[in-house]
Amino acid sequence: MTGKVLVITSGKGGVGKTTTTANIGTALARAGKKVVLIDTDLGLRNLDLLLGLENRIVYTIVDVVEERCKLKQALVKDKKNLDLCLLAAAQTRDKSAITGEQLKKICDELKEENDYIIIDCPAGIEQGFENATTPATEAIVVTTPEMSAVRDADRIIGLLESKEHIESHKLLINRVRPNLIKSNDMMSVDDVQEILSCSIIGVVPEDTGIITSTNKGEPIVNDEKSLAGQAYQNIAKRILGEEVPFLDIDTPQDLVSKIKKFFIDLLAKLGK
Amino acid sequence: MRDIFAGLYNKIVGFFSNVEQKESDESKNVARNRLKLVLMQDRTNLNPALLERMRGELIDLLSKYVEMDKEALDLNFENDGDSIALMLSIPVIRAKEEAEIEAALKAEDEAKKELEDKLKALEEMEEADEEDDDETEEDDSEEDDDNDESDDVEENDSEVDVTDNIENSENQSQNDENAEKHHHKKKKRKKKKKSLINIPDIIEVNEVSEESEDAEEISENAETSSENQSEDNEKSE
Repeated sequence: MTGKVLVITSGKGGVGKTTTTANIGTALARAGKKVVLIDTDLGLRNLDLLLGLENRIVYTIVDVVEERCKLKQALVKDKKNLDLCLLAAAQTRDKSAITGEQLKKICDELKEENDYIIIDCPAGIEQGFENATTPATEAIVVTTPEMSAVRDADRIIGLLESKEHIESHKLLINRVRPNLIKSNDMMSVDDVQEILSCSIIGVVPEDTGIITSTNKGEPIVNDEKSLAGQAYQNIAKRILGEEVPFLDIDTPQDLVSKIKKFFIDLLAKLGK
Repeated sequence: MRDIFAGLYNKIVGFFSNVEQKESDESKNVARNRLKLVLMQDRTNLNPALLERMRGELIDLLSKYVEMDKEALDLNFENDGDSIALMLSIPVIRAKEEAEIEAALKAEDEAKKELEDKLKALEEMEEADEEDDDETEEDDSEEDDDNDESDDVEENDSEVDVTDNIENSENQSQNDENAEKHHHKKKKRKKKKKSLINIPDIIEVNEVSEESEDAEEISENAETSSENQSEDNEKSE
């Protein structure tokens, strides 16, 4: 089997690349695919934390490149899902420690035995970005509906379009707050899509559950009740080729909105 | 007390219905508009000043053909798949009458032609002057050759200046430069000045540069040349 290499990038930091990588990877593995997640944020690794595997890292990607260990030794299996593996970044080096070509070589080797290789790209447009995007054939650009994130995403999309080996790129709009969109304080999904003119692979709502799930080291896709988890699940299905309608993230989360909705629905019914 | 009740009432009403805000005040629309502008700059190398200028020139150009709402011209750079496209959206108030358009275009073409003719005439003057210079060079001694060469350079500059004056007759500073240059060459140039001034349009320059000495000289010479012309006319009659 030849695996697909997918890069999760954004330009702006803190929009949810690592969270997205962890969750999509977990969701794909739950669907029965063999997945490897690669953290290329050398010097500032985080993917291990989100998966709860920080105590199991023995060898990192730099060790593989510098031939201190075999690739297989550096792959850490997930706690819950044996089809999911992590190739961790080095915490003691920086992004100049590896090149894009070296990463490509590793991906070529991994492609032979895995269905999906998901690369978590670091923030920025420098060496780290170049390294992470070299082996990829597809990209997911993560952004939030905020101005600075959208501006940086636009730059990233421009850079991705100039790379011929990246056949397609899709947009993931993260940390969406429906109540702010309603009160016109936050740009809507349509606004962002219109500005960036990129097709959307998914919309993930702001969910306090993300904080808890990071704290515990368990990706939120495992929680079937959370909206963010469901959204990530749908995105994974879309990656697998399934057509899934977008979630109605408008369902009220807090008590006040719930009561409000209850009364409004009641009045509407009485009105009829 | 009343205030408290009013506030409470508003809160309850607001609880059940969203008060409609003015579209332009809403922060999301502000953000969207700012983003669009910023992305336009990011995607191309046009800074705000250049963008404004481009916008102004486009408005002038399009106004010739259609009557449009100049304030509502919407200029946008958009990502059109692989390339960037410049999108222009102009609300048209009414179409201009064909006669109106053609009249304006004709006037423009005529103005252009006039300009070309003046330039041509100046070039011919230049050539004539060069020939004169060649003659004077032969007569003068070797020491003067150096002066002549520098004068040639100055002469070309002055003619360029005069051309600019015709084109930008409002440009005071150019006239001042012109004045200085003419000053230097006063002695040798008197003969050539007269020939330059026979071009009637230079008289327009008088109206603008009232302060420079050059203007005074030109006006003096213009008067004498017009006198000469009237004399010639009388003679021909």
